[in-house]
Amino acid sequence: MKEPMARGRQTDADERTPIRDRWSARPSGDGDEALAGALLRSAAAVPPFPAKNLAEVAARLRSRERHLPRTWAWQIAVAFGLLLFGGALYAAVLHILRGPSLRALPAVVPVSMPASAPVRRPHSVVAPPPAPVLSPEPEPSSIVRAEETRAPRLAFRGATQESVATKVSLEPPPALPPSPSALAQESRLLAGALHKLRQERDPGQALAMLDEHRARFGANGALEPEANVTRIEALLRLGRHDQALGLLDGLALTTAGVGREMLVARAELRAEKGRRAAALNDFNLLLSADAPPDVVSERALYGRATCRAQMGDGAGARADLEQYLARFPTGRFAAQARAAIGK
Amino acid sequence: MTLVRSDATPVIESRSGVPDLEALYRAHAPTVARWAAKLAGPLADVDDLVHEIFLVVRRRLPEFRGDAQVTTWLYRITERVAQESRRRDRFRRWFSRARHLEIERTMAPPHLTPVDEFERRQSSETVYRILDRLPGKYRNVLILFELEELSGEEIATLTGLKLATVWVHLHRARARFIAEMKRDSGRRT
Repeated sequence: MKEPMARGRQTDADERTPIRDRWSARPSGDGDEALAGALLRSAAAVPPFPAKNLAEVAARLRSRERHLPRTWAWQIAVAFGLLLFGGALYAAVLHILRGPSLRALPAVVPVSMPASAPVRRPHSVVAPPPAPVLSPEPEPSSIVRAEETRAPRLAFRGATQESVATKVSLEPPPALPPSPSALAQESRLLAGALHKLRQERDPGQALAMLDEHRARFGANGALEPEANVTRIEALLRLGRHDQALGLLDGLALTTAGVGREMLVARAELRAEKGRRAAALNDFNLLLSADAPPDVVSERALYGRATCRAQMGDGAGARADLEQYLARFPTGRFAAQARAAIGK
Repeated sequence: MTLVRSDATPVIESRSGVPDLEALYRAHAPTVARWAAKLAGPLADVDDLVHEIFLVVRRRLPEFRGDAQVTTWLYRITERVAQESRRRDRFRRWFSRARHLEIERTMAPPHLTPVDEFERRQSSETVYRILDRLPGKYRNVLILFELEELSGEEIATLTGLKLATVWVHLHRARARFIAEMKRDSGRRT
């Protein structure tokens, strides 16, 4: 009994030993600690926070407005978007599930009540509505859903005891097992692939799920465009640039939404493969539209400068680099741009 | 480099005896920004973090009595705000902004992006992926020691921990970091 306690005290004493050498200060090597040091060293090299940004934050603070920071605004926007998306999804699912019965409803209504007069549920009704009322001759395709949806509606609308008595003796149609819609299956597969890719950082597995998606739903799947974008991201994570470029080449990309990111990626990959003219077209497209001063524009501008320089258009490259420095003075390529034009 | 040293900057007090926000911001904002960036990780928007931190500072400034060093007080606020930010980021990864950042990081090929910058980003993502699996108390001490290059004594001052506790946390953080790093590389191969 004493021995484990003594060992515990020894461990505690070891753990209190001061550490003076940093892994991040060690030279590169093969051991675990050297590897950890190399990783930590690269993560430690964070560029200083630009003075311009500090001044902007100071101005925001000075304004004394009780405005929400941008992150909160962003969160609220996401929550609102989620709410809308959830509502839309719910409505879509309802539409898919209830579609046949709603279409069949006019054929059913006359059986239990006159269609001309709107019937309201009487306030005096205490007992729950009677058993479900079914149409004598339901359409075969809508049998199951009609059972689920029509009857409660009719009962709710105040079907009389007599009408129930006449209908209830009818044999219910044989129940068929409900099958999940193709869209739901596609969504599940795609969500799984995204989870593998983003959460588990496993692009190989994500790709396998996307392959399964393609095998099951082909190129006509409702979510094929989303699957394609996810596939491109997975391929890039795997370093399979050729395949990613192959897919990107087949896309008709615009400068809207995620298309911009795809477009700049395609341009860079094309440039990487020496297809500079094609790359230049993409960069031009990105920069000709009313390009916002974001990271895509930044990459496009620097990428175009590189392409132009490689194609011998020194003046064009210089103009792009000067424009780059004017628009993104603290950008990630600012040092290279300054060095290139000798500023 | 260290915040502890920057604490030597005098904090100008207003007439009411409360430290002046402007002076506090001028003296400490760059350090707070650096801490925020390192504690919150590469997905964080540092502008917003600094803004949030100093909104908290402004709100709580009248309560600051000088019992702790200004830097210790600021660090604790930064730590809490950064922790909140990391929680948000987990959620955010699923949505467009994270998608945008991740695609941007993933796609930039090395010949256009400087190789070192590309590798730095990749390594930084790996480091924070591993760090995020460590308990907060180990994670932050390791960040302060390895990334912020503070000494044990400085970390103790900043976090309010006993020096012995700092060393214990650091030993355990290192062991966990190595274990998680091996697990991470095992998963990738």
